[in-house]
Amino acid sequence: MLNTLLRPTSGTAMVAGFDVSTSPADVRRNIGYVAQDVGVDEHATGRENLTLYGHFYRLDNKTIKQRIKEIFELVDLTGYEDKMVSSYSGGMRKRLDIAMGLIHQPKIIFLDEPTVGLDPQTRARIWDYIRKLAKSMNVTIFLTTHYMEEADQLADRLAIIDMGKIITSGTPEELKRSIGGDVVTLSPCAVKTAECQEFLQRTKSVLSNKPFVVGMQETDTTLAVYVQNGESAAPNIMRILASEGIEVQTLSVSRPSLDDVFLKYTGRNIRPQEGAPTTYTEVARRRSRR
Amino acid sequence: MDMLSDVYYQTMRDLRSRFRMPVWIFLSLFQPIVWLLLFTQIFQSLSQLPQLGTVSYLQFFAPGVVVMTVIFGSAWAGMGMLQDIDMGILSKMLATPVTRPSIIIGRVISAMVMLVIQALLIFIIAVIMGVKITTGVPGVLLSIVIISLLGLGLAALSNGLALLLRRQEPLIAVINFIALPSVFLSSAMMPAQLLPAWLNTLRHFNPVDYAVVGVRNLILQGYVWSDLRTCLLVLLAWAAAGITFGALMFRYKAE
Repeated sequence: MLNTLLRPTSGTAMVAGFDVSTSPADVRRNIGYVAQDVGVDEHATGRENLTLYGHFYRLDNKTIKQRIKEIFELVDLTGYEDKMVSSYSGGMRKRLDIAMGLIHQPKIIFLDEPTVGLDPQTRARIWDYIRKLAKSMNVTIFLTTHYMEEADQLADRLAIIDMGKIITSGTPEELKRSIGGDVVTLSPCAVKTAECQEFLQRTKSVLSNKPFVVGMQETDTTLAVYVQNGESAAPNIMRILASEGIEVQTLSVSRPSLDDVFLKYTGRNIRPQEGAPTTYTEVARRRSRR
Repeated sequence: MDMLSDVYYQTMRDLRSRFRMPVWIFLSLFQPIVWLLLFTQIFQSLSQLPQLGTVSYLQFFAPGVVVMTVIFGSAWAGMGMLQDIDMGILSKMLATPVTRPSIIIGRVISAMVMLVIQALLIFIIAVIMGVKITTGVPGVLLSIVIISLLGLGLAALSNGLALLLRRQEPLIAVINFIALPSVFLSSAMMPAQLLPAWLNTLRHFNPVDYAVVGVRNLILQGYVWSDLRTCLLVLLAWAAAGITFGALMFRYKAE
């Protein structure tokens, strides 16, 4: 909707100073949009793809040439300008895809799930390019992802959206601090069973009135206990549970991650392999530091 | 201005990708020649029909081949649009300030360019094979205007159908359903006097027939202005209808 592909049913939104409903053309001139699916023309060269978009943004030939040189350097595709995109690898296509959103030096660039379906190596490289981009181009990057790690790595400001509503926002650090201390994760079983459920419920009720417990959040097979100090709380928890006859299979102490933040605010774990049981999108917004 | 430049670049993009398929180019040019040779051989004995008079079947059928080529060339124009949708190119394009109509117009014009090349080639081959074009070069040019109008409407219709149907299989089915029957429902292959009465009536509702009659008049008889006027008017209306349909589909299905 913010990139004008959908029209709002109600309300208003301003992007780069323009209203998306009344002046979509002005919005489009000022944004770059990189969709989740790569949208490059395979039957053309990298340069042809970029040149076409340069013309759509009303750049003159000289500027286009100059920009292509810069952008290909930025995304590390120099030397591949005149090769057919059909010969590019998946990672290269994604980089070209991102490059196409940059040709006109937009004020805002929308990156929709930029690393979905890419291997870890390629993902790390794309992250590098995104960081480089933010540093060198004085641009606001609006990135949506459901990889918490990605948001943690890239975002200066981050908002968690659940069921279409922003439920919390801040820097990754702020959000992690908001959980309060550390996370002790208990797990009695690997798969969801009735026994497992009973364990979780009993553990929860036993721990609920303990002073060192800040909060708790359960998933199908685990219980996350938020505490001030993980190292001292863990033995405590073990002792208390043992005295109640509750046996813990695994226990781990961790600094809170964005996964924990997400879990705390939405009450749900992220399970993309199950086709995302709930609608969630997490929005990370990165402002260039310049 | 923006619109003109966008149309230009969209057209060039489409043409470029077409010309990068040598097999496709070769067969597109070769196919009509095969038709011209094959059909005139099969229907050779029809040359003896009194209704044809002194005209050979080749001479009679040449306009039919031109029109058939136009139909099969332009009816598939929507396939490229489908590919752009599937590859995510269309939605990416829509997030740029590109003028919306240029996306469809560029594709249609590129299809037209191909058609004109094909048609000229057929005329040249036909002349080599012994077809006499009564109206000469101006007649050929006017023929090209006629078939371009037919192709324009059909290519726009095909793009509109692509946006409406969204998938290849139904689009292929619809185009197959329309293309060949529209040739049979005209006087492209048989003199009108020999068609059954119902077909002879029906062909008057078929834009293809107007193109066939128009081009055939120019080749065999000369400038029959009353027929030509009707032909041009009908085909203009056809082209306008196709473009309106394509534009509406684009407005409601793509944006």
